[in-house]
Amino acid sequence: MSVEMKPMNCMQFEEIVHDLDRPGTHGLALRERALAHAESCGRCGQLLTETESLDQALHAIATTEGEQGAPAWMESELLREFRYAKDGTRESISGRRAAALGIAAVLLLAAGLSLHRYVPGVKGRAPGQPIQANGSAAATAGPSTASAVESAADFIALPYADDPDGVEGGTVVRVELSGPALASLGMPVSLAGSSGSIAADLLVSDDGTPQAIRLVSQDEWAQEF
Amino acid sequence: MSARTGRPQRPEMMKATELTDDGLLGRMIAGDEEAFTLLYRRRHPSIYRFALHMSGNPTIAEDVTQEVFMTLIRDPKRFDPTRGTLGGFLFGIARNFLRKRWEQDRRLVALDGDANEIGEASSSRNGAGNGASRNGQHAKGNGWLGAGGSDEFATRETIQRVRHAVGTLPENYREIVVLCDLEEMSYEEAATALGCPVGTVRSRLHRARAILLEKLRDAQTARRVPAVGT
Repeated sequence: MSVEMKPMNCMQFEEIVHDLDRPGTHGLALRERALAHAESCGRCGQLLTETESLDQALHAIATTEGEQGAPAWMESELLREFRYAKDGTRESISGRRAAALGIAAVLLLAAGLSLHRYVPGVKGRAPGQPIQANGSAAATAGPSTASAVESAADFIALPYADDPDGVEGGTVVRVELSGPALASLGMPVSLAGSSGSIAADLLVSDDGTPQAIRLVSQDEWAQEF
Repeated sequence: MSARTGRPQRPEMMKATELTDDGLLGRMIAGDEEAFTLLYRRRHPSIYRFALHMSGNPTIAEDVTQEVFMTLIRDPKRFDPTRGTLGGFLFGIARNFLRKRWEQDRRLVALDGDANEIGEASSSRNGAGNGASRNGQHAKGNGWLGAGGSDEFATRETIQRVRHAVGTLPENYREIVVLCDLEEMSYEEAATALGCPVGTVRSRLHRARAILLEKLRDAQTARRVPAVGT
């Protein structure tokens, strides 16, 4: 069964004449009707001819100028700029990463100290339990002795510290702490109550959390400085 | 297999030329120099031609092209793939730079000399076009081309007349003709580049082409008048 084409009027023709050959538009679908109208209308036929001529001329321009582009030197200039921007980005990223790690370490240290001060009933090893450091970062639990604090030879586990077996690979950091700060870490008040700051070594795990502390004797301190 | 090392190349290196613009941009953001080079080589000719048609000045076209890719290098994440193609995004940057230049220098309006400059540069390099229409068909009549017949419009003179007419269009009509007819962008791509709805692109292009036809008819009439008078 053949479907009769609905005739197009001049206004409709002018609406779509510039889309007749354009992909992705209604023009292609309406092309037959438009051509049929142009056959019967002299004015629209003339417009169609002019439009097709314009299309051809524009296509000829596009073809003749299709090889044009920016000069060759521009590519090397832009590549230089690209390398410069890439290096700048790398430096910026590494700087930001180092700063973030530093801030994280400080925050963890502060959080650890605060936890002990405000949450005295933390689960885990009792404060004051010494840990053998033996010059390496690996820590193991050892017997609790009072002399350990005074001799400054052994690390004492902090109240919130993890299982000492998990402290492998940590770092010993020497710090100077005030009496109240030492008390907050579970050190005997009589010792922590001494005037001025006291040197101590903190055993810090890989995640930046202080795990154990030992006091440094004045002799040892004097030898180093 | 790499010729220099004898080792097999990584798959992603072998397929770099087959990547889409978005894929190349992703690798470029990760610092891949080859991806940037491929992207530049793929996109710079159309950006340059757009700038050249809009400005009528090869030096300005070079400046604009360079600025477009400098912007891409410095801030590649400005491109949002959900809002259009990378090509459209780059054309949009080029258009903004052209507008800035236009504000700074009113000479950017294409004058007779400018249009001729483009024509001379291209015709000396490539010669006249082949006269094929967008769908490969040929014009049936002579229309505004005068009595010369369909062969004549393929001549350099005809192309020059159309090029000149395009160069004297108002800026907003000229850019739409350049994008849709000379760069053969779809309405959607042009809409992305121009930051306007597809309907606006269509209506503006139709108006631009109507103005072009009027200009060409007028030029044809002006050519005939002296001939009638003599």
